[in-house]
Amino acid sequence: MMERTTLARTTSIWIIAILLLFILSVVLGIIMRLSQGGVISQSPVVFYSQMTTHGFTMIGIWFVAGMVGVNYLMQRYVSAPVKSNIFALLFTIIGVVLLWVTTFVGKFHTGWTFLYPLPFKIAWAGWATPLFFVSLTILGVGWLVWSVSLLMAIFKKYSITRALAWQHFGKNPSFETPPFILITVITLIGVITCLLAAVLLIVLFFAEYFSSGTFVNDPLLMKNLTYFFGHTIANEMLYLGLATLYELFPEVSGRPKWKTTWYVALAWNCTLVFILTAFFHHMYMDFVQPESFQIVGQVASYLASLPAAVVTVFSVLTLIYRNSIRWSLTNVLYFMGVAGWVIGGLGAVIDATITNNLVLHNTLWVPAHFHTYNAMGNVLFSLAFFNWAANRFAGIGESGGANRLKIALLLVGGTGFLLMFYLGGAYSIPRRFNIYPMEFSLAASFARIAAVFAAVYLAAVLIFFWDILRKCLKLLTYSR
Amino acid sequence: MILLLWAPKLYALTPVYNLDEETNIYQPVADIRVTTEEGGIYLSEIYSGRPIILTLVYTRCAGVCNPLLMRLKENIELIDPKREFTILVLSFDPLDTLEDMQGMAKRFTLDEDPRWEFAVSREIDKLNRSIGFNPVRAGAKRQFDHEALLIGINRNGLITKKLIGLRNEAALGAMIVEINDVFVPSYPLPDNKRSFSCFNYDPATGKNSPGWGLLVLSLPATLTLLLVLVIGINSNHEHH
Ligand code: HEM
Repeated sequence: MMERTTLARTTSIWIIAILLLFILSVVLGIIMRLSQGGVISQSPVVFYSQMTTHGFTMIGIWFVAGMVGVNYLMQRYVSAPVKSNIFALLFTIIGVVLLWVTTFVGKFHTGWTFLYPLPFKIAWAGWATPLFFVSLTILGVGWLVWSVSLLMAIFKKYSITRALAWQHFGKNPSFETPPFILITVITLIGVITCLLAAVLLIVLFFAEYFSSGTFVNDPLLMKNLTYFFGHTIANEMLYLGLATLYELFPEVSGRPKWKTTWYVALAWNCTLVFILTAFFHHMYMDFVQPESFQIVGQVASYLASLPAAVVTVFSVLTLIYRNSIRWSLTNVLYFMGVAGWVIGGLGAVIDATITNNLVLHNTLWVPAHFHTYNAMGNVLFSLAFFNWAANRFAGIGESGGANRLKIALLLVGGTGFLLMFYLGGAYSIPRRFNIYPMEFSLAASFARIAAVFAAVYLAAVLIFFWDILRKCLKLLTYSR
Repeated sequence: MILLLWAPKLYALTPVYNLDEETNIYQPVADIRVTTEEGGIYLSEIYSGRPIILTLVYTRCAGVCNPLLMRLKENIELIDPKREFTILVLSFDPLDTLEDMQGMAKRFTLDEDPRWEFAVSREIDKLNRSIGFNPVRAGAKRQFDHEALLIGINRNGLITKKLIGLRNEAALGAMIVEINDVFVPSYPLPDNKRSFSCFNYDPATGKNSPGWGLLVLSLPATLTLLLVLVIGINSNHEHH
C-alpha cells in the first residue's frame, strides 16, 4: 500500500532536496581534495568559499535529515506535527539559497565555524557578512520552531519525567517509555539549547555590527558560543539518526522491539548533560579559559560518547548475535553506520584527550574523525531511513537489485577517502590548507588518492539517489 | 526588505584585509647570492644565523622607498633590542651598484648599525618570483611602479609574514615575533566597550575574575530548561 499523507509527501520532498544538496556538496569536497592534491589550481578565495559552503551545507542537511526521520516515525506514538515541518522546509530552502549566494556570489569564506572576528575582517563583498547572518537567522528560526513543535507534540502525551524515562530508575516501572521517544526527547532538548546558543551568537554579532564601534565582543565568549552551537549540533544530529535506528533496526531485522531498561534510561539521561559540556574541548588552546573548564571538557567528552555508544553497540550486537536476521539494505546501512560512528568516536576521544590534542590540534586528524562518524556513520543512518521510507512511499517491500554494489562502493570509497585524512593527521598535516607547502611531502598525494576514493563514494550516492528519487517521485506524482 | 534597510551600512564596508599579504606565505624564499659590504653571501647563510626582515628598494626611487626606509628605521628603534633579526635592504634595480646602496645606508645613518645590511644581487628576478614581488617599469625616468613591501623570513628560509604599505610598530613587532617562530597569546583587557567578557584580567594584580560573559554562556541551557518546564507542565498528557 502506498502511503499518501501530507507528512509522507513532505518527507519525500525533504529526502530529494537533501540528497541533491548532498551530491553537490560531495562534488565540492572532491574539488577541494583535487585542489589540495595540485591536480587543479584554485585561488584561495574560491577554495575557502567552497570549504565554507561544503561544511555548512553538510552540517545543515544531515541535521534536517535526522529531524525528518524522527518527525516521520513519531506518528507511531504521538500526533506528529506537519505544519512546522513544512515551515522548516521552506525556511531551510530560503536559508540555503541565501547561504550559497553569500559564499559563491559574495565570496564569504570564513569556514563553517565563522569564528569571531573573521566575519568582520571583510575579504569579500561587503554585503556578504550581513547576508550570511540573515541566512543563519532564517535557518535557526525554522529549525527552532520545528524542534519546539516536536517536543510539544511528545509532551502532549508524555509527562516530562516519563518522556525522560525516569520511572525506569525505580523497580518494576508501571509504564514503559519507548527508546525512540526517550532518545528523541533527550536530543531535541540538546538541539534547542544549541540553537538558542546560535541565536545569542547572531544577536552579539549584529550588536557589534550595528554599534559603530561602541560595542565590542569578547573573543572567548564568542568562541565558546560558536562551539556550544557548532559542536553540539554536529553531535545531536547523530543522535537523531540513532533514534531512527532504535525504532527501525529490530523491526526490519524481524526481531522484537527494543525495550527501555534502567541502564538505557541512565545512559541517555547522562548523555543529555555531558553532550552540552563536551564542547569545552574546543578551547584547549585558549590560555585564558581556566584549567577547570578544560578538565570538564575532557571528562565530558569521554562521558558524552561512552554511555550512548556502549548501550547502542551492546543492543545491536545482542540483536544479531546467534539470531536469524532478515538482512536488507536498511539494516546493513544501520549496522555499517554504527561501526563508522564507533570508529569515528574513538578518533574523536583520542583527539579530545588534552595531551594528544597538543599534537593533533588542527591537523587532518580532525576532519578524519568527524568525516568518519558523518560520511560513514550518520549519513548511513539517514540513508537507511530514506531507503526504508522510499520503499514505503512507493508501496514496495525491502529488496533491491544493486544493493551489493551500492554497499561495496560506499565501503571502498568511504574507507579509502577517510584513510587519507587519518594518514594526514598521523603525519601532522594541517587541516584547512588549500595547498600544502613542500615540507608536507605526502600531503598532496594523500589528497589525490582521497579524491579518487571520494569519487567512488559519490558513485554509490548517485545510485542511491536515483533509486530513492524514483520511489519518492512515484508518491509525489500520484494523483488522488 | 531587510537588506534595503541596511543599504547605507553595506556600501560603507570596504575590504580591510589585504589578501596580497597571504600570497607566498610559508613558501621558501629563493636562496640567491647577494653582495654586501663584506662580499658575496647566500641568503641561507644569513637567515640560518638570524631571521631576516627583507625590504626591496632602489636608490633612484622618487616614490615610496625613502618613506618606507624612514618608517622602518623609526619603528625598529622602538623594538626590544634583544630581539634577533637582520634587516636586509636589497636593491631590485639592476642599475644600482653596491656603492649606491652604501650611499643610501649613509644617508639614513644606518651604515654603522650591525643589524642593517645593504646589498645588491644579480639574481633579483629569481627572488622576486619566490616572494611574489612584481615591480613594473613606469615613465621615462627609470622609475618603477612597486609596492612598499617587507618580507619576514624565518631561520628555515620560509616566508612567514608579509607587510604591504607603510605600517606601524605593532605590525613590525608581529613580524619579528613570527620570524622568530614565537607563539603570541593575546586576550583583550576589560574596557567599557566590552560588556560581556568571560573573564576580567587585572594587569595590576595579575588576577582573572569571572565576568558577565560566563552568565551569557549559561543562558542557552537556562532558557531551554525553562522552556521544557513551561511546555511540559502546560501540556495535557493524554492517558493511554
Ligand atoms: C565523500 C564525501 C566528502 C568529501 C570528499 C569531503 C571533503 C572535505 C574536505 C576536502 C574538507 C576540507 C578538509 C581540510 O580541512 O583540509 C572538508 C571539510 C569539512 N567537511 Fe567534508 N567531505 C565529505 C563529506 C562530508 C560529510 C558527509 C560531512 C557531514 C557533516 C562533511 C562535513 C565537513 C565539515 C563540517 C568540514 C569542515 C569545513 C570547515 O573547516 O569549515 N563532509 N570536507
